[in-house]
Amino acid sequence: MAATSVASAPSVSATSSIDQALADRLAAIVGARRVLFRPSELLTYTADALPSYFKQPALAVFPGTRDEVVAVVRELAACGVPFVPRGAGTGLSGGALADGVVLVGLNRLTRVISVDPDNMMATVEPGVVNVALSRAVGAYGLHYAPDPSSQAACTIGGNVAENAGGPHCLKYGVTTNHILALEVILPSGEIVTLGGTDGENEGYDLVGAFVGSEGCFGIALAITVRLSRNPEGVRTLLADFMSIDAAAQTVSAIVATGIIPAALEMIDQATIRAVESSIYAAGYPTDAAAALLIELDGAIAGLEHDVETVETLCRANGARTVRIARDEVERTRLWQGRKKAFGAMGRVSSHLVVQDAVVPRTKLPEVLAQIHRVSQQNRVKVCNVFHAGDGNLHPNIAYDASDADETARVHVAMREIMTLCVDAGGTITGEHGVGLDKIAYMELIFSPESLAAMCTLREVFDPERRSNPGKVVPVHSCREWHMSPAARPSASLA
Amino acid sequence: MTTSSISSAAHLRDCIRDASVRGTPLRITGAGTWLDAGRPVRSVESLSIQGLSGIVDYVPGDLTLTARAGTTLGEIRHETGKHNQWLALDPHGSDKGTLGATIATASAGPLASAFGTPRDLVLGLEFVTGTGSIARAGGRVVKNVAGFDLTRLMTGAWGTLAVLSEATVRLHACPQVDETIAVAIAGDSESLDRTRQLLRRLAFTPYACEVLSGPLAMSVLGRDEPVALFRLAGNIESVTAQRASLLELGQPVDVSSEAWTSLRAAEPTDAIVFRLSRHPSEIGTTWDEAVRLVDGAPGALLHATPARGIVRCILPSSEPTMARIGSALAAPPQSKRVGERMPERLWSAFPNRANSEIGGRLKQAFDPRGLLNPGILGNTV
Ligand SMILES: Cc1cc2nc3c(=O)[nH]c(=O)nc-3n(C[C@H](O)[C@H](O)[C@H](O)COP(=O)(O)OP(=O)(O)OC[C@H]3O[C@@H](n4cnc5c(N)ncnc54)[C@H](O)[C@@H]3O)c2cc1C
Repeated sequence: MAATSVASAPSVSATSSIDQALADRLAAIVGARRVLFRPSELLTYTADALPSYFKQPALAVFPGTRDEVVAVVRELAACGVPFVPRGAGTGLSGGALADGVVLVGLNRLTRVISVDPDNMMATVEPGVVNVALSRAVGAYGLHYAPDPSSQAACTIGGNVAENAGGPHCLKYGVTTNHILALEVILPSGEIVTLGGTDGENEGYDLVGAFVGSEGCFGIALAITVRLSRNPEGVRTLLADFMSIDAAAQTVSAIVATGIIPAALEMIDQATIRAVESSIYAAGYPTDAAAALLIELDGAIAGLEHDVETVETLCRANGARTVRIARDEVERTRLWQGRKKAFGAMGRVSSHLVVQDAVVPRTKLPEVLAQIHRVSQQNRVKVCNVFHAGDGNLHPNIAYDASDADETARVHVAMREIMTLCVDAGGTITGEHGVGLDKIAYMELIFSPESLAAMCTLREVFDPERRSNPGKVVPVHSCREWHMSPAARPSASLA
Repeated sequence: MTTSSISSAAHLRDCIRDASVRGTPLRITGAGTWLDAGRPVRSVESLSIQGLSGIVDYVPGDLTLTARAGTTLGEIRHETGKHNQWLALDPHGSDKGTLGATIATASAGPLASAFGTPRDLVLGLEFVTGTGSIARAGGRVVKNVAGFDLTRLMTGAWGTLAVLSEATVRLHACPQVDETIAVAIAGDSESLDRTRQLLRRLAFTPYACEVLSGPLAMSVLGRDEPVALFRLAGNIESVTAQRASLLELGQPVDVSSEAWTSLRAAEPTDAIVFRLSRHPSEIGTTWDEAVRLVDGAPGALLHATPARGIVRCILPSSEPTMARIGSALAAPPQSKRVGERMPERLWSAFPNRANSEIGGRLKQAFDPRGLLNPGILGNTV
């Protein structure tokens, strides 16, 4: 490819080595059209799907092949420039952004490299969109199980980086349970293969270490996933309740039977109303305090038996009506309301904050009541739409960011909600990742020593901390680990 | 060899720090039921976590359990059983083994076909690194992405990066029906392939399916013919249908669920044990390779996990067997080999598990002085 010069030098640059010369060298790799540097062109890349954090990259580069990614990363390594990998930018933690970096967009790497239907696996490039993968293997009666609600847009690379979940992860497991092998380019430019497919993996679980690394360990170039059989039968139920408590009790009752629903989602009244007044109206009863969307799947034999058990439990725990989707059209409609809930709430107000805490399942009734109290005390409107089966809450608050008083109350409420979830024995994020958004909460749940151990792991992959700088672990935890000899037991012992 | 026994994570940290000061490598042990597994460890002192035992937290409604690393699987089985729940891990050996060792060695048995290996069931860990830091990763909830995944890193690291002191695991509710069924099969590679193809096609996943060689079936079931042993579970309707679908393989016969316990305990104490694996679709070829490898070794026992593409070989140890298997293993492997336990001189035929650039860096970062189980995975680069 001919080296084409980028028209004018990037103006914003926190890192002095990001200059015209670098832009030109990157353009020589990927083509001038694939290097963006004008603020107007970079606007999209200053945020992810969480409209609360804005960071200005110096450049964005969009390689089109694996070899171009390799050449780009090696070029950045040679001049010691920090970078941020980015998939579709649907992240909800302020992950794929940073000031003064080179943003490496992977969304052009959309090739399904190979499919092995007999052994139920496929190898894909990182930019393959989640739902496109399932579509590509559908002809074999297979699908890729982890299904984030953003699956129509998010990439497998982003899913790996966030260890993404989704409604069907209750039964089938999250991303990390479905990744067999990875080809990764480390920030140093070195290419490593983690895991493998022909035979057992043993030794250190490097696939496990990489999944969920939020772009801080390098870039996944190729991803080998486990595929799942399409279930022979699927039954979808919608049960509605006059109290949140009754809905939460029903969740516990179902989980206790040993039946593992494919999905078990809760939608509260505020969310139901937002959905029903939007184009995604799914026919949810707007006077209900909460509804449960329950899906059972698997072999047809025995499925109806489980449906009956679940229906009985719903009624015994106070369900007003239990609707069972009669056909695929009705089923899709019921799901539509759930999957598009965030979109529907976006219409309610200009801004939306979304949380992702997880609590022990028996604590759901208590925690939901406390969240309600927090929302009243702070006069904010909390909607709850979440993966109830695993206790993964998504309290979200729609608000008007131009109203300083409301914004302040939203932030207070968010912190109180997070704290009460942690106090209930929970965690700060179940699937969206820490990114920038939850970094301040890491010290709520991890000791300095635990955070330091995470820094240690990061530095095995990225000793210079150039890949997605400033995410996941508070910088001072890592810095302290380095600066203070006392923080390093080995040093104090030596 | 001196041994110390641990009573708390802080005590564990002090012992590791002390060993660091003295420059004394440690052999980390659990209940000591499987100490000959892995490569020989170069250490003079043992550190037993067996005293660090007991269930810390168990709320049945959450289907999670937190226990200290020295808690036996038996104790967990007993406690969870009271609530009709269980931890779906059945590593070879017995329930006398500890939770910590099972996780550290990522040991899995027949149930792994349906429930995965320890990495799929562990939710959180507390551990003490070779640098003497007490750290926690993961948590007590079933879904968690807070921070880098040290939980999975430590699972299967064989105690070479840190010593586990506590673990939280995911439990399952016991199924309504849980049946064990044997189907006699030919025991040749073609019958292995057919079993695997059937599993691939079925609309359900059996809790377990193992194919046992004739001699192993004799020791486990008292019948001297190769069998496919199934564990079918679910509601009554489902299990009835599952059983019917096995008919194409042969006649299903009910056997006692004790068969699984016997299978786990089938290996003589001083046996040579290793596994061969490749893609599940190649299970017939892998089985043939195993049959050829153990040919002529008296008392050799084989079993395969068709869904996972693994064949496990158990050879009662004797001088002639050692010589035979030594030369058989010298041939270039067609399958991936994983050693479980064997005399030192046979290990050279098995790949060095820690031998990767990143593996070496991990060891250097978490245990720079090489204090923890040195050599058990092979030498790091
Ligand atoms: C409406 C909506 C619903 C959502 N629902 C869910 C849900 O149900 N479950 C869930 O888990 N998430 C959900 N999300 C969040 C988001 O979609 C996921 O986190 C997704 O995995 C992000 O993928 P992406 O391609 O958009 O990644 P991006 O946002 O582009 O990046 C996310 C992170 O991944 C890193 N990254 C991207 N590609 C690579 C690569 N190839 N190698 C290394 N690092 C890389 C980035 O640096 C960044 O840190 C939702 C988001 C929205 C907007």
